[in-house]
Amino acid sequence: MNRRTVIKNLALVIGGAVLLPSCLRKDGTSYVQLKHISLDGDQQNLIADIAEIIIPKTDVPGAKDLNLPAFVLKMLDDCYNKKDQLAFLAGLDKFNTLVKTKYNSTFSDLSVKDKEAVLIGIENSNKPKAGSKAPARRPKPQKNMAADPLNAFYWSIKQQTIFGYTTSQFFMTKEIFYDMVPGRYNVHFPVSKLKLKLA
Amino acid sequence: MSANTYDAIVIGSGISGGWAAKELTEKGLKTIMLERGRNIEHVKDYVNANKDPWDFPHRGGRTQEMIKDYPALKRDYPLNETNLDYWASDKDSPYVEIKRFDWFRGYHVGGRSLMWGRQSYRWADFNFEENAKDGIGVDWPIRYKDLDPWYGYVEKFAGISGNKDGLSVLPDGEFMPAMEMNCVEKDVAARFKDHYKQARSFIIGRTANITVAHYARTACQYRNKCWLGCPFGAYFSTQSSTLPAAVATGNLTVRPWSIVTKILYDKDTKKAKGVEVLDAETNQTYEFFAKVIFLNASTFNSTWVLMNSATDIWPDGLGSSSGELGHNVMDHHLGVGASGTVEGFEDKYYFGRRANGIYIPRYRNLGGEKCDYIRGFGYQGGGGREGWSRDIAEFEIGGQFKDAITEPGTWTMGIGGFGETLPYHENRITLDKTVKDKWGLPVLAFDAEIKDNEKKMRMDMENDAKEMLEAVGVKNIKTHSGNPFLGRGIHEMGTARMGRDPKTSVLNGWNQVWDAQNVFVTDGACMASTACQNPSLTYMALTARAADHAVSELKKGNI
Repeated sequence: MNRRTVIKNLALVIGGAVLLPSCLRKDGTSYVQLKHISLDGDQQNLIADIAEIIIPKTDVPGAKDLNLPAFVLKMLDDCYNKKDQLAFLAGLDKFNTLVKTKYNSTFSDLSVKDKEAVLIGIENSNKPKAGSKAPARRPKPQKNMAADPLNAFYWSIKQQTIFGYTTSQFFMTKEIFYDMVPGRYNVHFPVSKLKLKLA
Repeated sequence: MSANTYDAIVIGSGISGGWAAKELTEKGLKTIMLERGRNIEHVKDYVNANKDPWDFPHRGGRTQEMIKDYPALKRDYPLNETNLDYWASDKDSPYVEIKRFDWFRGYHVGGRSLMWGRQSYRWADFNFEENAKDGIGVDWPIRYKDLDPWYGYVEKFAGISGNKDGLSVLPDGEFMPAMEMNCVEKDVAARFKDHYKQARSFIIGRTANITVAHYARTACQYRNKCWLGCPFGAYFSTQSSTLPAAVATGNLTVRPWSIVTKILYDKDTKKAKGVEVLDAETNQTYEFFAKVIFLNASTFNSTWVLMNSATDIWPDGLGSSSGELGHNVMDHHLGVGASGTVEGFEDKYYFGRRANGIYIPRYRNLGGEKCDYIRGFGYQGGGGREGWSRDIAEFEIGGQFKDAITEPGTWTMGIGGFGETLPYHENRITLDKTVKDKWGLPVLAFDAEIKDNEKKMRMDMENDAKEMLEAVGVKNIKTHSGNPFLGRGIHEMGTARMGRDPKTSVLNGWNQVWDAQNVFVTDGACMASTACQNPSLTYMALTARAADHAVSELKKGNI
């Protein structure tokens, strides 16, 4: 019997006496057991949907395939302090309001194109000037999170999604080369060879 | 001879303690090495050494729980998920900060030899002369010629890779083949040479990572996971190097969980007769006796042992007669430098992860130059390509962004300074008997800070870094000047300095405590100045030299 089944059965046995842990999704499954931040199933799904837009499934796996939402949630749960978690939650509400106002819908029900437009809108609001080619100024989520909850929310997810992706086994062994034991240091290694190795 | 009697006691098992144990046992002394923390067995106990980045639940980051548990360690890079077990618990072993002091410790067999930065540089003759020349602190009782053969001795055994660069500011040693610079570093080195000629140098770091097999150790595999413990024994540590040599003699006993609380002083012989040990697991007290004691508990803890060994004869601690015990706290001040981007090498990469960088030795206040501060600084740094988590200019999200981050990023070049800190009498540690550690022992209180000389030097460290990077064609240069608090260099020095006069120093020219000459202190506590080179190689050489002297004096019946 796996852990999820155990939790489900426990809930059945004890019935109304037990409050379902907040991390359970609508279908009774959870990305991760959260200990320090409270996010219900819809909220967890929202985070997963945003992560999937940032790192979508292409010809290679995307955020959801690689279980990155669980990583993002684990980082939020364990590594963010209470104040930043509250800012994140406030930002989540702002994000939902923003989507609701503009599309009269939830983020998860939007088309991929609209979802992308929402996120790029936040990115653009951080650019030094409109139409700039420079990357958006990436606010440091650990700093001033409370002052700017929407950005705190979005950039926390983006940062952790990319961090989780680029340190995932899939990325490190299939998308770039990573050897546990390189055995030598070759300073004449062309980038082209790097690609050959992956092909 | 009772079961608790040995020829020699070594207190501590880090870089200098390991050397003391090796030298004393190889010279035939039955030796017990007392270590305050747990044992870490070579290879077997390097539990994270073979984990991949994705094996760590937070990918090496720090959790709020860790931040709460380690209020001092959290201040800098050492607090992380990958080798947390190697760092001493701030909760079990608190300390008092009259002024902020970042004290990052390793309480286990091997000490910080497991986590050290491995950069290994000899001092030059002028480093030993400057105190006398400047009228600062006390004159070193030794000169380069006294240490030169011992540098060579320890280099050959420890295995230091590097080039013979022929620099007077940074004497060459007995090196293994050097690691190679990458393409950007080579280009920068050539430009650097064109620009600065002989006035400044840009060299590959000299590091205690072996580049050819050495004894039972395998050459560096370029994993760059040194501080997890190396399963190949490719960098110098107590476990990889000195401990197996000492064990092989059959003369060594290692006792983990043994906190030395005091050195037992015999007022009739005016020597130490042994040590008192508190077993960290059982809280039982034991005594061990020996003819020679090497105190290598790490800079400030060695001084703690001396202070806590107060008697009616030496009320301020063993070795306190000069009034200098606990004074002259030093470290290298750092966190100042610059970095920028390098163009023209987009098609080039490197294979392997080199756990080493480049080094720019000191050039200030030499050859007649007089800045508005004395002494100087060196830089460590390196060239590399930005990681995969970087920002991408063209795409923010989505499939194209996802593809773009698989490309190697921009080449960067950065350097950071390590500055000499002067010995100031008022920079000191004291015993605070009102605060106790987990074992009920008094803790150290730190009252030390950098002063005008270091502050002026830091301005130069920042400006020079920018100027040098500009001179070699680095673009988009940004400078940084971070927190100036002592301790974070983890190059702790001073508090039981060597000297020529028992009235102004704690140790003589052979690292013997003036007040008890069979006690030798050969870790960072003995330093009379800091130079700007990484200090561990000098501790190794001083320890081997002192052990040789100790055995010779024993044979002569002098101690």
